[in-house]
Amino acid sequence: MGALANSFYNAIVKRNSVYVTTIFTGAFAFGVGFDTAITSFWDTWNKGKQWKDIRAKYVEAADS
Amino acid sequence: MAAIQLAKKAVNLPPTCRTLASGVPAASYVNLNVRDTAGHGHGHGHGVGPRSDAPARWAGGVSASSSAGLVSKSFANVPSTGVFQKRLIHSTVPAKIEPQVPDFSHYEAKSESTNRGVAYMMIGGMGLLSASVAKSTVTEFLATMAASADVLAMAKIEVELATIPEGKNVILKWRGKPVFIRHRTQDEIQEARQTPWKTLRDPQRDEDRTKKPEWLVMLGVCTHLGCVPIGEAGDFGGWFCPCHGSHYDISGRIRKGPAPTNLEVPVHDFDEVNNLLVIG
Repeated sequence: MGALANSFYNAIVKRNSVYVTTIFTGAFAFGVGFDTAITSFWDTWNKGKQWKDIRAKYVEAADS
Repeated sequence: MAAIQLAKKAVNLPPTCRTLASGVPAASYVNLNVRDTAGHGHGHGHGVGPRSDAPARWAGGVSASSSAGLVSKSFANVPSTGVFQKRLIHSTVPAKIEPQVPDFSHYEAKSESTNRGVAYMMIGGMGLLSASVAKSTVTEFLATMAASADVLAMAKIEVELATIPEGKNVILKWRGKPVFIRHRTQDEIQEARQTPWKTLRDPQRDEDRTKKPEWLVMLGVCTHLGCVPIGEAGDFGGWFCPCHGSHYDISGRIRKGPAPTNLEVPVHDFDEVNNLLVIG
């Protein structure tokens, strides 16, 4: 635990430029990941209710 | 409120004494002399029997102790020394001899490096979340300034290309302006492409003005003063503006007259699946 904390401190925190850059990069990655996770959760939760799920039925019906 | 009660307790106090100049303790009314008790059983001239001046047992007496030797005791009741003063009320804070420092050792970090790492981890995580929130706030705020989906949908028009025969013009209204769509013939395409465009007033290749060579899409607004040019007219087989006599060729480029630039090409796209032209 102590070794992990020390390596974390030495690698990231020691230089403020690296620390801030890491925070911003992490914020970007977090935003992308959060969006993806929430969207996939939404699609799972509303499976079969969204237009993209039921489009095939109606478009085929229109063609035939 | 409870009445002040005077508690009485009997104590035995040592007799008050003072020291004589010779160093001998002197106690008034206390007889410290060891005297022989009566009836010690050897004849040396005095009579047998208790002496009349022998003190009673309750007043003290002399006894022999194995540890302390001969002990003379006088029991006396004496008043206590000094003035006995009752303090009924006092409001002084009891002075502490030393400040009471609690024991903080329980709260101290077990490991200095782990503590530091966790603290910076928390700070960084907070910053990360704050940055995300700030970015999201700004993005959402800017998104409110963007046109909504229904406005964007109204801002586009779709044209069925199958309804426009080759060699014909169509004029549509798009965002309040006329739009020319020309289904060009192969001859017109060749003419437009082979024109030496570098010497024109507004040099532009025909390939840059069209996405598909047979479909020419332009805003029908003369770049001079905003009249609407007439199709299939003018000296170059394209458009002619009746207001001040600007001639445009079959690619919509200005060739003659006062107009400074070519006819504007709007953003447009082709929907290959449904054979549609989407303008906007």
